[in-house]
Amino acid sequence: MQLKAWLEGVRMLDLILRNIIQRKLRTGLTVFGIGLGIFAVMVMGGMSEYFNLHVDRGLSLMADKIHVLPESGFFGGSLDDSKVSKVKSIPGVLDAYGLLWMPYDVESLGIFGNFVVGLEPEKQAATLKDIKLTEGRLLVPGDSYRTVIGSNVARQRKLHAGDEIEVKSKRFVRASTITHTRNFTVVGIMEFTGTDFDYIIGVPLDTAQKFYDMDNTLTYIWVIPEPDADADDLAKRIELNVENVATFSPNQLRKQIEQSMVVISLITLSSAVLAAIIGGLSIMNTMLMSVSERTKEFGLMKAMGAEVKDILYLTVGEAALMGILGGIIGIAGGGIFIYYMNEYMASMGAVIFAITPRLVIVALLFATLLGIISGSIPAYRAARMKPMEAMRRE
Amino acid sequence: MNESEPVLRVRNLSKTYMQGKIPVHALTDVSFDVKKGEFISIVGPSGSGKSTLLSMMGLLDKPTSGSVFIDGMEVTKVKEGDAPKIRREKIGFVFQRFNLIPTLTALENVDIAMRFARVSKHIRKERAIELLAQMGLGGRMKHKPSELSGGEQQRVAIARAMANHPAIILADEPTGEVDTKTRDMIVALLKELCEKGQTILVVTHDMDVAEKTLRRITMRDGRIASDTQQ
Repeated sequence: MQLKAWLEGVRMLDLILRNIIQRKLRTGLTVFGIGLGIFAVMVMGGMSEYFNLHVDRGLSLMADKIHVLPESGFFGGSLDDSKVSKVKSIPGVLDAYGLLWMPYDVESLGIFGNFVVGLEPEKQAATLKDIKLTEGRLLVPGDSYRTVIGSNVARQRKLHAGDEIEVKSKRFVRASTITHTRNFTVVGIMEFTGTDFDYIIGVPLDTAQKFYDMDNTLTYIWVIPEPDADADDLAKRIELNVENVATFSPNQLRKQIEQSMVVISLITLSSAVLAAIIGGLSIMNTMLMSVSERTKEFGLMKAMGAEVKDILYLTVGEAALMGILGGIIGIAGGGIFIYYMNEYMASMGAVIFAITPRLVIVALLFATLLGIISGSIPAYRAARMKPMEAMRRE
Repeated sequence: MNESEPVLRVRNLSKTYMQGKIPVHALTDVSFDVKKGEFISIVGPSGSGKSTLLSMMGLLDKPTSGSVFIDGMEVTKVKEGDAPKIRREKIGFVFQRFNLIPTLTALENVDIAMRFARVSKHIRKERAIELLAQMGLGGRMKHKPSELSGGEQQRVAIARAMANHPAIILADEPTGEVDTKTRDMIVALLKELCEKGQTILVVTHDMDVAEKTLRRITMRDGRIASDTQQ
């Protein structure tokens, strides 16, 4: 049945095309309107897709571990090496290790941008999991002022293995601060992961602690539970057995991230709704005008024996085609915009868009449906017209 | 269908419109038969009901009572959904203002009538070329209506009306918009088609056209005032 309907549509395609071409300016403006709407869907959707990928990949890299942090939060509290051994002694813990996570830009609050991450070279495999290197090697025990950097850090600073990266630290001495600068040699560059790892400058933990004058201090302890251990239960037991620590179990971590994704999804959804309104009204207006101009023509077609569905194919087909054309333009425009924005943003250290096949398909379907739905009311009006009444109209 | 059976039978056809709360009797108890190959004119002053009668016969409107039979089938009883099939298979329309689709060429205007009848593309093209050639428009097929004279446009409309081999052609004032020379040419063409067996019913208020038909039905106040063979 659907195949038959499709064939009917194709049978009328030349008539549909002719009508669209005949009214170039009007069609052009409508298609442009839809294109703009779909452009917005692509840009907002691209952002949402990036964050989705970021979160998914991030979760797959990090959410198998329990995160232990100071009870008082990141600011104002810290962990130390002794806590690592305490955590390790808790039954159900397979392994635990500390990380020092410092903002690269010492003036920043440390929420966005690049981070210097101190990590034990022996624990790199557990921390970076399956992330591959595009250049060089991982850190090895005995490395000091050496670093493995994330792909965005490399792209932003045009760094290659063997290059040097300047890192600053701020130390408080009495009432003033002293800034230290030190060059680290890039030994390896990680592949693009779409996660926070793209923004890290990974250095040996002991070197980081020394450089930041934070001997024995850690930002997090990452805990690998034993395979059969209940991570939520284990997280609670860590909190109970180790003083002044808070934990995030994989489930809590996932929940927290998913909550923050709701906001992004709402932004995407509102842009889609806005696009639907702009594009939909634009198509409806064009089709209403086209139908009222062609009232007589439709009456004539009905007198010639055209059925309601023939008129519907013609009119809805026209609206759908405008939707598809607008969709293609919007997707192409959005794609180009995203490509150049990503290039530009990468040089500033942050990529925020991703184009996925899913996004392209959704955008095109959305544009087509927009055309069909907005074209339906005028089409139905045309199809239900009584031939005699339609033909009497001038 | 029996050859002697009428192509068209109209029986006790009445149509009453409501103008606000006042009933207007556009047609009252109209009955007549049309045989195959007849060339008939329906004449009468404005408001006599001739166009209403044409709408009922062409399934463009529903009568209040009475029946219309085409090729023995009571078309006034068919469901609304089946009306398009009857219209494209049994009836061909020719209108006063040619009513060609402006964006299509002469050939495509004839072709489109067969498209709705689901005729295959190859046959459609062949038939459209044959009909237009028959109308003397062999060299004008690729022209759009705006590039054709009134007479040429009406000939395209006649070709279109004949495309699906209709039982009857209903022509509503087919010469109303053309000069006398073109009018004579169109009437001669319709007459020639009748001589080849096509049944044609012309609604007109032009007595010169009516005189050239072989039978004339005169309408007055929604009724048949006279039905004469000429």
